[in-house]
Amino acid sequence: MESPTSRLLESATPISQGAEAKVFRAYLHPSLQRSSSELQSNASDIREPILLKYRFHKQYRHPTLDTTLTKARVAGEARAIIKCLRHGVNVPGIRMVDATEGVLGLEWIDGKTVRFLLGGGAEDEDEDETLEEGDEGQVVKEDPLKEYGVSQDDIMGMIGSEIAKMHSADIIHGDLTTSNMIVRHPTPPKGVQLVLIDFGLAYTSTLAEDKAVDLYVLERAFSSTHPASEPLFASVLSAYKEKMGKDWLSISKRLDDVRLRGRKRSMVG
Amino acid sequence: MPGKVRKRSPLQLPERPYIAIGLEGSANKLGVGIIEHGPDGTITIMANVRHTYITPPGEGFLPRDTAQHHREWALTVINDALKKAAISLHDLDCICYTKGPGMGAPLVSVALVARTLSLLYSKPLVGVNHCVGHIEMGRQITGAQNPVVLYVSGGNTQVIAYSQQCYRIFGETLDIAVGNCLDRFARVINLSNDPAPGYNIEQEAKKGKRLLPLPYATKGMDVSLSGILTSTEAYTMDKRFRPNRTSKGDDEDIITPQDLCFSLQETVFAMLVEITERAMAHIGSKEVLIVGGVGCNERLQEMMGVMAKERGGHVFATDERYCIDNGIMIAQAGLLSYRMGFQTPFSKSTCTQRFRTDEVHVAWRA
Repeated sequence: MESPTSRLLESATPISQGAEAKVFRAYLHPSLQRSSSELQSNASDIREPILLKYRFHKQYRHPTLDTTLTKARVAGEARAIIKCLRHGVNVPGIRMVDATEGVLGLEWIDGKTVRFLLGGGAEDEDEDETLEEGDEGQVVKEDPLKEYGVSQDDIMGMIGSEIAKMHSADIIHGDLTTSNMIVRHPTPPKGVQLVLIDFGLAYTSTLAEDKAVDLYVLERAFSSTHPASEPLFASVLSAYKEKMGKDWLSISKRLDDVRLRGRKRSMVG
Repeated sequence: MPGKVRKRSPLQLPERPYIAIGLEGSANKLGVGIIEHGPDGTITIMANVRHTYITPPGEGFLPRDTAQHHREWALTVINDALKKAAISLHDLDCICYTKGPGMGAPLVSVALVARTLSLLYSKPLVGVNHCVGHIEMGRQITGAQNPVVLYVSGGNTQVIAYSQQCYRIFGETLDIAVGNCLDRFARVINLSNDPAPGYNIEQEAKKGKRLLPLPYATKGMDVSLSGILTSTEAYTMDKRFRPNRTSKGDDEDIITPQDLCFSLQETVFAMLVEITERAMAHIGSKEVLIVGGVGCNERLQEMMGVMAKERGGHVFATDERYCIDNGIMIAQAGLLSYRMGFQTPFSKSTCTQRFRTDEVHVAWRA
């Protein structure tokens, strides 16, 4: 167990537990962190925190199945991210990979998820319980978007064009939801950006079908998490259309097919 | 949602006891249940009778024969339920029946029975969505408040969560249902359909030793199962396959039916638990409720329990009385909507094979 990766995990601060991985904030060189004042300014990148995505062993899964899946997913995710970086899609940079241990180290992104910015967080009944009737209004009324200096429509446009860039590179995200998109905080040097995260289910495909399914998954995520924001998805699509150019036609046709097929499943009983 | 306050349930306590009968026959089970909602909020299950149409090994149930089975048994099962509950049809407040989704012919024959009883005893009809019935019964039995629901049966595979008076579908199968996948494989290896093919798969899987590689197909919160069925079937053509041997766990390179059942269950259930976990993470819920026929599979319950524990939550599951299609769940969901003032007018008392879970207005929840 005393591998450098497990030592790194021990030094890391847990942040959250996602669907399939635990997320930590860590420093690649904890010892340098302490003596950071002695470092040269050009070494600032090693003082930046990184995000560790640790696919821990899932007890419910058969060990053999779990090991194969974990290894394949860490490697697959790293590959997809690198391909995205090469094609100029906004994704977090890669800092380290350890497929056998199930650890992926990524660039730390300061910002909020699109889901949070659209107010999709208050749907849970448990959350409502903790809020008092009086002070709740103030908390929610403060529009988080103001801090970022963008409108909802700007965000939708950015989503559309990022996905288009990714699809032009033949990468299929596989799990497009509003929780898997972060709006980078507008601090220099990079400014406001929409960053796509979680490429755990990503794969490569040139088929219009797969791209259409990718969009359909996002459409469903929109309608299930943000019930009133269905027209917003239309502006995502229009930005996507603009960026995709002539490829849009076949994908759009396919998307209509996929939507129909999706509904058709209601016939089974 | 800005300014959202925790709402009280719109459902008032009844001023007197309400009694409903539920008639269910969307697939090969004919179920009749009688339920009472008391003025103090108690809910009593007065009767829950079921008769299952069982086909010989290697055969599935066809709509026409299933409908005939339901027609033959309807009166016996209803009388049996009335006798158990010790009431007569005059004591009822409403008659609930499955409007859909399901197989057309069996649905029609049960709806006909419901309409006839409604006319004979002048009782109002309430058409119920089968999936909502499963969810409401599961919530009632387990006491789960606002769980993520995994609905797995012979015809449905859905991950559902409640939001704004609607059961929204977060993920579902892109092709066949998980029960269909298991049942069809049971037919391939000639397992008995008694009491249920899925049950026999579960028993065989307990003896399986070897995990064979199968495709693992999750797409976001959806799953695809048809390819896994094909791959598992393909193993029965493998030259290492020994249909009459049992797994012993030695080093011999053979594939037994037990190994295949084991591998199929492990792979398919891992996928289902994964999409449920994904939905839980997405919504931020810690409760999960398993309903539907496949929900009585103990291995699935066990895997779901481990997952929920890892996330600091609980799993809620019911036993075969309430998991497998039954009349009581139709009575429960029907009576809830009846108490909110919903009735199905006689001229609209049809049934439909296509009736999505999210089409129902869930008036009785906040």
